[in-house]
Amino acid sequence: MKPNRNRRLRGFLERCGISLCSLLAALLLLSSCADSHSDRIVIGSKNFTESLILGELIAQQIEAHTHLKVERRFYLAGTYICQQALLAGRIDVYPEYTGTALTAILKQKTGGDKAEVYQQVKSQYEARLGLTLGPPFGFNNTFAMEIRGEDARRLNLKTLSQAAAFASQWRAGFGYEFMERPDGYAGLAAAYGLHFAAPPRIMDLGLLAPALKDHQIDFAAGNATDGLIPALDLFVLDDDRHYFPPYEAVAVVRQQTEQQHPEVSQAIAGLGGKISDQEMRQLNYALDGQHRDAKEVAHEFLRSKGLIP
Amino acid sequence: MERTSTNHPVIELRNVDYQLPSGQPLLAGLNLQVQRGETLVLLGRSGSGKTTTLKLINRLLAPTGGEVCVNGTPTSQSDVICLRRSIGYVIQEVGLFPHFTVERNIGLVPHIEGWTPERIHLRVEELMRLVGLDPQIASRYPHQLSGGQRQRVGVARALAADPAILLMDEPFGALDALTRDQLQREFLSLQQRLNKTVVFVTHDLREALRLGSRIALMEAGRLVAVLSPEEFLRSSDPLAAAYVQAFADGLDSSSRGAS
Amino acid sequence: MNLLHFFLQNQDQIVELTLEHLWLVGISTLLAVVVGIPLGILSAHWPVWNRPVLGTANIIQTIPSLALFGFLLPVPWLGDRADRLAILALTLYALLPVIRNTYTGIRGVDPAVVEAGRGMGLTNSQLLFQVELPLAMSVILSGVRVAVVVSVGLATIAAAIGAGGLGEFIFRGLAMVNNQLILAGAIPAAVLALSADFGLGWLEKRLRPQ
Repeated sequence: MKPNRNRRLRGFLERCGISLCSLLAALLLLSSCADSHSDRIVIGSKNFTESLILGELIAQQIEAHTHLKVERRFYLAGTYICQQALLAGRIDVYPEYTGTALTAILKQKTGGDKAEVYQQVKSQYEARLGLTLGPPFGFNNTFAMEIRGEDARRLNLKTLSQAAAFASQWRAGFGYEFMERPDGYAGLAAAYGLHFAAPPRIMDLGLLAPALKDHQIDFAAGNATDGLIPALDLFVLDDDRHYFPPYEAVAVVRQQTEQQHPEVSQAIAGLGGKISDQEMRQLNYALDGQHRDAKEVAHEFLRSKGLIP
Repeated sequence: MERTSTNHPVIELRNVDYQLPSGQPLLAGLNLQVQRGETLVLLGRSGSGKTTTLKLINRLLAPTGGEVCVNGTPTSQSDVICLRRSIGYVIQEVGLFPHFTVERNIGLVPHIEGWTPERIHLRVEELMRLVGLDPQIASRYPHQLSGGQRQRVGVARALAADPAILLMDEPFGALDALTRDQLQREFLSLQQRLNKTVVFVTHDLREALRLGSRIALMEAGRLVAVLSPEEFLRSSDPLAAAYVQAFADGLDSSSRGAS
Repeated sequence: MNLLHFFLQNQDQIVELTLEHLWLVGISTLLAVVVGIPLGILSAHWPVWNRPVLGTANIIQTIPSLALFGFLLPVPWLGDRADRLAILALTLYALLPVIRNTYTGIRGVDPAVVEAGRGMGLTNSQLLFQVELPLAMSVILSGVRVAVVVSVGLATIAAAIGAGGLGEFIFRGLAMVNNQLILAGAIPAAVLALSADFGLGWLEKRLRPQ
């Protein structure tokens, strides 16, 4: 037999339950339409050193030249993730390469020189995706097919075509993206007739150079701006058949962000043409070889270029 | 034809067959008439088809052969929902809605028929008094009631929209003997007052003799005989006689003590 | 910098990702309920649908979540936006508990109650909405609770394909070998799962018919 008091308690708890549900519903609604960072700029980057440095450079440049608060979301796991984050508005800017944008995102065949590829990507990004590109930073981080310096000297190899003859004696090592991308291993092997002794080993990008030096692999797909190339005495084979498209580094920006904060684009434009291949290698080496802090390295570079006081 | 004639049966089963989807026959060639205001008891053992017959009347089951008519209209031609709302239905397990109070249980049909809340409330009070329940327990839930109280609520619920016909399937079977006796007594006085047409299913001869104006004896899906209580006791039909004997034996042995 | 300090410094981002996470879980659970409860009712009332409906939901559950995300990536409209894809995948995973519990809840209603209701002249929809569903509600809610808790966990994996949410902290933290970042994702996710479990469990108990 339940007294009246219990019924009042039940009524109260019922109301609590209903308010909890309405709170959850409100939260849901809020989470859907909240433009969570209209006052901040979020910079993304992929999860390798060079992308991190570029992201940091962009971030500090914006911090120095605008009044906006900058948030960093670095180490996002790859091109697709960054692209999705940009489209969904979770980030506003991230550094990308024209060649990657063309083949992996726009899914088109490569062709043409640097300027043509840049224009193609820019116009399509603006037309189809609501994104735009800043000016190129100044270096071309194309894929570098690396072998040990000693092998290059001993076998007198300069180009990929020459190296193809020795491929059957070598083991190759590549990163995940290079293996899977259409402009990666498959196309390269076809273009140069490369046949390795065994299927290539897949490993983390950061582990490729040491593995090459230690004779665990003999042929690696690195990047032209790898900091460890000179340090570990690695040799970059010439892409004499021009298989790889240009990979100019640019900042990809949401058009919405550009409209709301034109000062962001201005700040990013200040970085245009300021980084050469060699300079990028040095920046990479500062982190990978010397294990310095990314913020410090970026700050130092910007000062040396007179971009910040 | 003459549907409003007073000597026309309220419920009529004409040559009714009922077969399960698997093909097993439960009823065969059943012919039965229920007159206005009478209490017809369907008596038989388990599997005799008495519950099946009952369910054919409010079309919880549809005959596979023959016709079931209520108030002159075949049930296949009337709107099933209207038919059921005009017939009170009481089952052994009662089937009260556990999430409704006694009042909401009793008042459900009036509610869905669109009665005003005041009218429903008055009717619920009236019915509770009628079946011998204190109106104060109207706000209780079924799990707070005793077995006897629950069945009284079940009867009140069946009577809520004042149906002319009442179908009862062993309604007192799950109660203890004392409560059963009490409810049987109250049923009789209620019937005297309300004069409903009742079809009552039981396997208990004493209950049949006490409550029924006529007894329809069923066995293996067929109607064996339809007799008044006195006729039943004097009947020379082997099955009826067997029933009487079985119950008399039970009374004898219990009065003599365990033998 | 200790953990609390880290959380306070990055609270904006933590809140933003938590809301993203809630959005993923909330929408997918809602869709699973909207699709799953009717399917559960269907299979409870028409047993012929029981095997196909429950069977399909079962098969979906056995697909490893990351694999399911992967399958859906190449699909044209879905693969274009990771959050759409994640929401679809989360909804599919939430279906089985909702459907199964709706089925069990409705079948678990006392048959005498259903028979009495039908005999009284309740229409099928009156029987469903006024009797069966209210009586099955506690069991159905328990299925929703399971769905929500599972979704909170699965949504962290959705970050692997770019759908955002608290999993992003975890993956970034793994890449940077930064424990604080990992915890910034893991702790709020665990708190979300626990609160959902507790809150819905409380509601379930309140709705249980005595």
